[in-house]
Formats: sequence, structure tokens, C-alpha cells
Amino acid sequence: QDLRARTGPSNIIVSTRQKGNPILKEIKNSAWEYGDIDPDYILGVTTCALFLSLKYHRLHPEYIYGRIRALQGRWNLRVLLVMVDITAHEESLKELSKTSLINNVTIMLCWSTAEAGRYLELYKVYENAPATAIKAPPSKSHGDRLIEFITTPRSVNKTDALGLVSNFGSVRTAVNARPEEILLIAGWGQTKVKQWNAAVSEPFRTRQ
Amino acid sequence: MPGEEKAPVRLSLPLDYQQQIFHELREDDKLLILARGLGLLRIVTNLLHSYDAAGNNLIFVIGADDRENTWMGESLAEKAEVSRMTGKCRGLTKVDSDNVTAVARQKMYANTGLFSVTSRILIVDFLSGMVDVSKITGVIVLHAENAKATSTEAFILRKYRQENKNGFLKAFSDVPEAFTSGFAPLSTMLRNLFLRQVALYPRFQTDVASSLDGKMKRAEVIELNVDMTESMRVIQGAVMECTEASISELKKLNSGLEMEEWNMDNALQRNFNQIMRRQLGPIMHRVTPKSKQILNDLGVLHDILQYIMRYDAVSFQRYLDTVLVNAQADEGKRKENPSPWLLMDAADTLFETAKRRVYTGKIPDNKDGPNGQTPARSDTLRPVLEELPKWDLLSQILTEIEQDVYFNPVPRDDSSGAILIMCADVSTCAQIREYLETMHIMPDEDEEDENVEDPGSSTSAAFMMRRKLRAYIHWKRNFTRVTASLEAETQQPTNGQANDRGAQASRGRAPPNKRRRVRGASAAASGPNRTDYGVRTAGDRDAHMNSLLQKLEITELEADQKEEVVVDPLEKMEDYYELFNMKDLLVIHPYDGDMDEHVLEEVKPRYIIMMEPDAAFVRRIEVYRSSHTDRNVRVYFMSYGQSVEEQRYLAAVEREKHAFTKLIKERGKMTITLDVDNNNPEETFLRTINTRIAGGGRLAATAQQPRIVADMREFRSPLTGLLHARNMDVVPAQLTVGDYILTPNICIERKSIPDLIGSFKSGRLYNQVETMLEHYKSPMLLIEFGDTKNFTLEPFADLSHSAAAAAMSSPDLQSKIVILTLHFPRLRIVWSSSPYQTAEIFDELKKQQEEPDPFRAVEIGLEEGEDAETGRVFNQDPMDMLRIIPGVTEKNIVRISLSFNSIQELANTGEDEICDLIGREAGRQIFRFFNRDVIDD
Repeated sequence: QDLRARTGPSNIIVSTRQKGNPILKEIKNSAWEYGDIDPDYILGVTTCALFLSLKYHRLHPEYIYGRIRALQGRWNLRVLLVMVDITAHEESLKELSKTSLINNVTIMLCWSTAEAGRYLELYKVYENAPATAIKAPPSKSHGDRLIEFITTPRSVNKTDALGLVSNFGSVRTAVNARPEEILLIAGWGQTKVKQWNAAVSEPFRTRQ
Repeated sequence: MPGEEKAPVRLSLPLDYQQQIFHELREDDKLLILARGLGLLRIVTNLLHSYDAAGNNLIFVIGADDRENTWMGESLAEKAEVSRMTGKCRGLTKVDSDNVTAVARQKMYANTGLFSVTSRILIVDFLSGMVDVSKITGVIVLHAENAKATSTEAFILRKYRQENKNGFLKAFSDVPEAFTSGFAPLSTMLRNLFLRQVALYPRFQTDVASSLDGKMKRAEVIELNVDMTESMRVIQGAVMECTEASISELKKLNSGLEMEEWNMDNALQRNFNQIMRRQLGPIMHRVTPKSKQILNDLGVLHDILQYIMRYDAVSFQRYLDTVLVNAQADEGKRKENPSPWLLMDAADTLFETAKRRVYTGKIPDNKDGPNGQTPARSDTLRPVLEELPKWDLLSQILTEIEQDVYFNPVPRDDSSGAILIMCADVSTCAQIREYLETMHIMPDEDEEDENVEDPGSSTSAAFMMRRKLRAYIHWKRNFTRVTASLEAETQQPTNGQANDRGAQASRGRAPPNKRRRVRGASAAASGPNRTDYGVRTAGDRDAHMNSLLQKLEITELEADQKEEVVVDPLEKMEDYYELFNMKDLLVIHPYDGDMDEHVLEEVKPRYIIMMEPDAAFVRRIEVYRSSHTDRNVRVYFMSYGQSVEEQRYLAAVEREKHAFTKLIKERGKMTITLDVDNNNPEETFLRTINTRIAGGGRLAATAQQPRIVADMREFRSPLTGLLHARNMDVVPAQLTVGDYILTPNICIERKSIPDLIGSFKSGRLYNQVETMLEHYKSPMLLIEFGDTKNFTLEPFADLSHSAAAAAMSSPDLQSKIVILTLHFPRLRIVWSSSPYQTAEIFDELKKQQEEPDPFRAVEIGLEEGEDAETGRVFNQDPMDMLRIIPGVTEKNIVRISLSFNSIQELANTGEDEICDLIGREAGRQIFRFFNRDVIDD
């Protein structure tokens, strides 16, 4: 991939404020260096992150607002990495959800320092990655699709799918099979047959 | 009878306790918990009929499933006929999304009557004002055990009670076990149901007992305990051993969870896998693949345990074959270790024994030709074909009945003289039917055949088994080809492992020099393992199978028999069929819950043979027998001694009894608490309003009740109910974009964790976010966890593997969320630990904002020409299946779903027609997907 296309720091830039934060120890697979910056972390040309521990937030609720204000709307993606380290997190998270809406920050939750470090790494790693991983899946083999197709109804599992294919040969025959015929395949009980039949004969669109 | 004059209706409740329950429920609003098999539906229908006959009542039945609807519908019509009140009675109308449009529903409701409605639709109708809730006469809840606090049923009842204080409300359940787990489960449940009283009728309740055990003659019951064959016992033992090992492995992998219920006793229960899945459900995303695998294994083992007693030896072997190949395919794909149980010695015993029940023989070593084609010596393999012990017993019973009928030719009573055979499922029915048809045919060769156990018996399944084995061998050949062709393909896309995998794929065709037989001590080493159980699967070479097939040469006698009939299309029925005399009839039927009652009533059998124990059915016979004093019944009750089947039966009876005892105790203690806090749901209702106004800022926003537009499909989730409970006006609508619209700007897509994983995988989420961004200023993705306890994405296993390594190849959930936010920086993510928390957050987000406009929300995202009414309401499963088919894209899917009615229709369409619609390339792909034959190519 073309990582040099955009010019930006190749390392994660860490604010000196974060000195002593245990999550720094967890950033193992990306290089990082200190820098004099407004956000806590710079993860890409247009991406930055602030770190917030809920424990701290409960003691100093004003802190994070000051920090967000200091960013002055400069970054395109502003991640607020929140560490859930208290059990009574509901109130704080509710408030932060509202904040994220008003102040344009994207909240990411983590539950341990290891996970926090990993998120920072991930943002760096995927900085210029294409969205293929979350778009429609890449083409698969006939066999895979076949099994996936048949196992779509909830109760049908892979063993059943195999039984169905080996009995009928093609998808078309299987789709057209009568319930009585399918019932004779080992493993196919009434519930499964019913769900399968409904799935293949139900109309795509319903009218309400 | 008392009360009869009040309701001028003919009831069909012959037994005292039924009458009593009927009147008790007619008088008061109650929750009835009845023991299984005592005729719950009969009481419900009689109750419904009494209202139906009165006319002009608007009654809703919720929670009924398909069969129950049919049952109630039929018997209501019958009752209407009997009481000659067809004019007034309307019968039951079933309402679900498929058959009635919204407009039609409104009209129907206005005309009053009895409606059985899917919960999701009813709540939408309630909220959108299609039915005047205050005019409802009453609501009847079936399967009350499902009415959890967050369920749609509870939501419906709350809405109902808020606007209607006078209508009746009655709930029914025959699953007492469901009311015994958790803290004060019964009173919690009653609160959810808005009921104050409960009526408990276990089998040991005095009225029930006196009705069934009392004065009248009881049914004649003959219990028969059959021994399993040695090999069945061995297999059962082996499976149990594997199950136990799998459970303890699962426990080890998931320490820190509550695992009290994960033990062997429960593992034998029918719903064990459901229990496990329900427990692990909220944390599925944190469970390691290995645990998931074991969970699947447990399901498979559970099935095997049942099939060993039901399936004949050949079908059983066939099932095991599919299980094995499947495990193998997984292994190939995931580059992981095979399921742990497959590595156990017990698994070997299982597969070996199962095979030996079908055929056996000395297998020559690797001396035959390089390609395994050298004709094997003719004595290499020979069929064994072990029979199920119950078959022989069945034929003995039938002989006995025949004699009995011969000596007492005229039925002295009202029963029809028919014989009813009850068995576990439809395939067992088919098997028993086939056996009975062919048991007198003796394939004459093979005198020395050992499996004809005692020479005295005149029946044998040999014919059937030979036929099955022949079919099996043919199937097996195809099967090897199918798996080979499926496997051969999977290796192509992953280039890295091509070499390794190539070796595996060829395994199906049995390379020369392969060691056969059990591997024994090498269980630990992974290399030999793989090859070895490859042998177990691909099994015996063609040559051997051929020799076996020769042995099964169709004898003259066999050739004379007609083909096995799988499906009888019933063409020209009048020409070939006539009504049988009932007394010549032998009916084979699977257990089917309450429907069995009808079977008994219709067949009126003189003899009943139960192939498997079933506690509920025993009670049904009792009820049937007591209801008809003039009908004699003799019951033969079969079970395998020392088997899982027997154990399961006894445990089920025990658990039900235990549950009722617990319920009775709780009822004794709880009465007072309920009176205090359950009398007025409106109080809490008002409280919510007050707190809200106190927190509000702008008057305009608070004067109006806060409103949320929610997509129709979302009414399956608990969130809509909770929002309503927080006094928000939830407006159901058909949304094309988003699930919830909070303000004109805020649009929310809700994803539970499993949904999130699924929609990342299918790429749906990407498209959804894209369209949300197109139409709304503040699109939000709500990630909702199951409950507070499992509010984390962290896996149980440590995060040892590095981000870089995982990066490009197979991103995990966290990585995918990261990519999503990187691509859509404007998308906000809302994290919520539970639906309760979500409701709070919604409330917060809405504060001091304008209310959304439902009409505008519906219009957004619709394509030109589409109107909201016919809109885009899809059936989930067929659409998901469509997406998997190669050639189908997000672009042409709309077109396809509009042009074709169903998957079936698409599958049967010619290539040209599809190509004309969506283009050459895609059309060909679709056509090929459906028509490609995996056996032939």
C-alpha cells in the first residue's frame, strides 16, 4: 500500500503530558516519540486522540472540556479514548455521549491499559488502510457460499448444510425439495425444515 | 353445571378439574400454570368460545405459535357449529405481517372479534392508534413464561393497562420450570403480567388427581424395558465421555463465569444447548473461537446421543460421516486444532463401533495396487446391519395385539380398535413404517449371518437394512465427491497454505500406503491425527465398498418389493384410495405437544404403543381415558433401560414436580408484597413525568411529550418498551435510514454486539452509515451490550498477538470499529451497557432539542417512485440469503427482490431471463450458483 502518499509523522506523537501513563508501555508495535502538542496523541495527519480515565473524570469533571476546547476544532477525527476503570460508569458515559455530540469527538471505550495501547496502535496501523475490511466481503468459493447460504436460517448448522447438499446435489434441487424429503435427512428435524422452507419460499418484500 | 346458565354456551370440558379451572379463570384475572399434558389449550379455547359466543367482544390473543393458532381456530369453529351459534361466533382470526395490511387490520379490529396477533405487530398497532385500546374487552397471553420485564408482551400489557382498566387479562403457561429461577421469580413475573393472582395446577393437585385417578378405570399400562445392544451401550458411553470432557474443557477456558448449570445432568436435557447459549449469549464476542467450537461440539454430541436410540445403524453411520467431514472442513479452513473430543480415545471407540454395526471384515493392508483398485478378496467386508431392539419388541407387541383382537373380535366399547404408535419425530415414523412394511420379507441368502439373533423370531429388519445400506454406499460415493469438490475449492484462495492443504484435499481419494485402523497411542501427536481421522471419514476405498455392494446384490424377493415411497403426491386420489375401516388401521405419529390431544380424539385408539417415554403424553392418555369412560385403552410404554432416554424422562418428571413445589411455596409467601406495589402502574407513570419536567429547560420542549420515531423492526427489541416506560412517545414507522430518530438531526443505528459483528461481516453497516451521513447531520452508531456485567469488548484470552500481525489479514472487532471511525469521522459512537442505559442516554441526547417529524423520517431515503406504504419491508432471512449469492450486489439486489417473489422463484428462473434483468456476468453467476451440481462436477 501507498503509505508515503501523504506526508505525516510516521510515529505516534505523544504529548509530554502523558509521561508516566501506563498505556505507553503497552504501545509495543508502533514507534512513538514525545512532542509538544495540544492533543494527547497524534495518530495521523488528521487524526488525534485524547485519553481519559473515568476515575479521573469523576474527580475532575471539568478537565476534559478544557482539553477539547484547546483542540479548537482543528482535527478531522478527534478520538476520545475513554478507559472504563470504575464500575459505576453509567452517569459519566451518559454525559460523555452528550458531549461527543456537541463537541464533535468520537468516543472509543477500552477496559484495560493493554486495550488502550492497542487502540492507539490500530489507529496508526490503519491510518491509510482502505475500507475493504468492513465493506462487502471479498468473493468466496462456491463451497463457502453454499454453506453460508444454507445456514442463514437460524437453526440450520453446517452439518445440516452438508447433509442437504450431499443429498440433493445442487442448490436448485434443495430449494425445490418438499419438506417430507428433507425430513428424511439425518439431523433435519421439523423446526429446521420449517425455517428452511419459509426462508426459500417467503417473499422478499412484505406488505404491511 | 354451575355457571352454565350465565354463559349459555356448550363447553367441552369433561373433567372436574377442567371445569373448575375454567370457572376460576372466567371469574378472575389470573395466571394459570398447568402441568404439561393436562390440556391447557382446551381450557383456553373453551374460555375464548364463551366470549366468542357472547358476541361483540374485541379480544386479543398474544404469544400463540402457529400450531396453537390452528388448534384454537379449528376447535373454535367446531364449537360454534356444535352450539349452533355460527351467526354470532366469529372464530379466531390470525394476524401476522404476511397476510394483512395495516389498513385491513384497522378495519378488522373495528369490527370486533377474536384476534391472535404477533406481538410485534400488536404493539405497533397499539402505538399507532389503529386500535382503540380502551375498547378492548380483554387480552389473553399464552406462553406467559416468556413475559420478561423487557419483552414485547410486557410492553403490550403495560400499554393496555394504562389505557384500559376494565378489560380482562388472563395468562397461561405450562412450563412451571421457567418460573423458578432468579429472585422471587413468580412475583416478578406476575408484576410483568400486571396480574395479582396465580392458579397452580400440578398433576398432584387434589382435583386433578381425583379426576384422573378416581373412580373410573384407569388405562391399562404395560411398561416394557428394553436392553440396548452392546454396541449401542458402548457408543452411548463414549459420547457421554466426550461430552463430559468437552464440558470440563469449556469450564477451564471460561473460568470466571457462573457454571453451576454446566454438568452432565443438565447436559442430557433437551434444551441444554439453549441454556448454554443463553448464558454465553451476552458475552459471545469475548468468547474465544475454541470455546465456540466446543459449544458447537456439545450440540453435535447431544444430537448423537439422541440419534443413537432413534436412527437405525446405517442412518446413524451416515450422520456421523457428515459430522466428521464437517469437523475436518473446519480444521482445514481455520488452521486450528480439530475439536478436542475428536482426539479422544472415546471418539475412536464411537466411530469404530458405529461402523461395526453396519459392516465389518478383515481389511487387507496396503498390499493392493498403488491406486487401491486391485479387486479386494471377496471376504473383505460383509454387512452386519445391527437392528434396533425396539423393532423386534414392536413386532412382538403387534402379534400380541393381533391375538387379543382375534379372541375379542367385537370391540366392546366406543374406541375404534385402531393401533396408535407414537414416536419421537417424523423420520422415526418413516423408519418404523418401513420396518413394519418389510419385516416379513427375508432375504434368503446368508444363512450363517449372525445378526438374525434368535431363530424363533419371524420378523427381521434385514430387508430394510440392506436397502438402506445400498443407498448408503451410493450416497457415500457422491458424498466423497461433494466434499472433495468443496474442499478442493477452499484451498485455492488461500495461497499461503496451498501445499499443506493440497495434501489434505487429496485425502478424500485415499492415497496409497495409508495406514488404516485405530491409531491408539498417537493421540497426542497432531500430525498422525490428521491423517488418521481422514481415514475415518473417507473411509473405505471404492474397491471395498464394491465388494460390499456385491454382497448386497438384490435378491429376487427383494426385487419384487415396491420402491420405498418418500413422498406420495396423492394424484388421482379418488381412483386409488378409499376409506379404511378404523379398526384395521395402524397409525404412526410423532409426539407433537398439544396437537396429540387431537390425534387421540380422532383416532380413538384401542391400543397405544409409545416408542419413547414422554411424560406429557402419558398425561394426555390419562385425560383422554378419564374423559371417555366408555373407551378402553391399552398402552405399551417402551424405553431403553439404563439409557439416556430413560434418565431424561425421569429427570423431566422430577424437575416439573420440584418446580411446582417451589411455586406453591412462593405463592404462600408472596401475597402481601404483591398487593402493595403492583396495584397501580399509573403511579410510576406520573412520577416519570414529574421528574422530566423538573429537569427540562425550554418550555416548548417539555410541554410536549418527548417523541422518538422508531423503525417497525425495532419493536422486537426491549428498547422500544423501555423508552415507552420512560414516558416517551414512541412512534412506529417504516424507516429506510436508521433505526431511531431522536431529533430532526439525530439518527441512530442500533447494533447489539452479535448484530455488529454480523453487519461488519456482510458489509451492511458500511452502507447504512453511508446513507445516514447522506441524510442526517448527526448520525450515531449505538453499540449496545446485553447487560452491565458484560460491558466490555475485551476477550477472555489476553491480547498477546500484536496489532501489526493481526492488522491486514483478519481484523478483529476492535480493528473494524477503528477502520469505521477513520472512514467516517463524522459518525459518533454511543456505547451503552444495556437497553436500560440506552433509554437514559436517548433521554439525555434529546434534551432541549426539537422533536422529530415522523412523516419526514419515513420519506428520507426512499427512492423516487417508492411510497411509504409499499416501502421496503424485507424479510430478513431471504434477503440475507440473496446477498450471499455471487453476482448479487447492493445495486442490483433491489431489482432482484422486486422482480422475483422468493428464493425459490429465482432458483427456477432460466439463465437468459436473469441475464436480461441484471446483465450478463452477474446473471450467469447467479444461475450457476443454483444449478451447479456438486456431485457431478
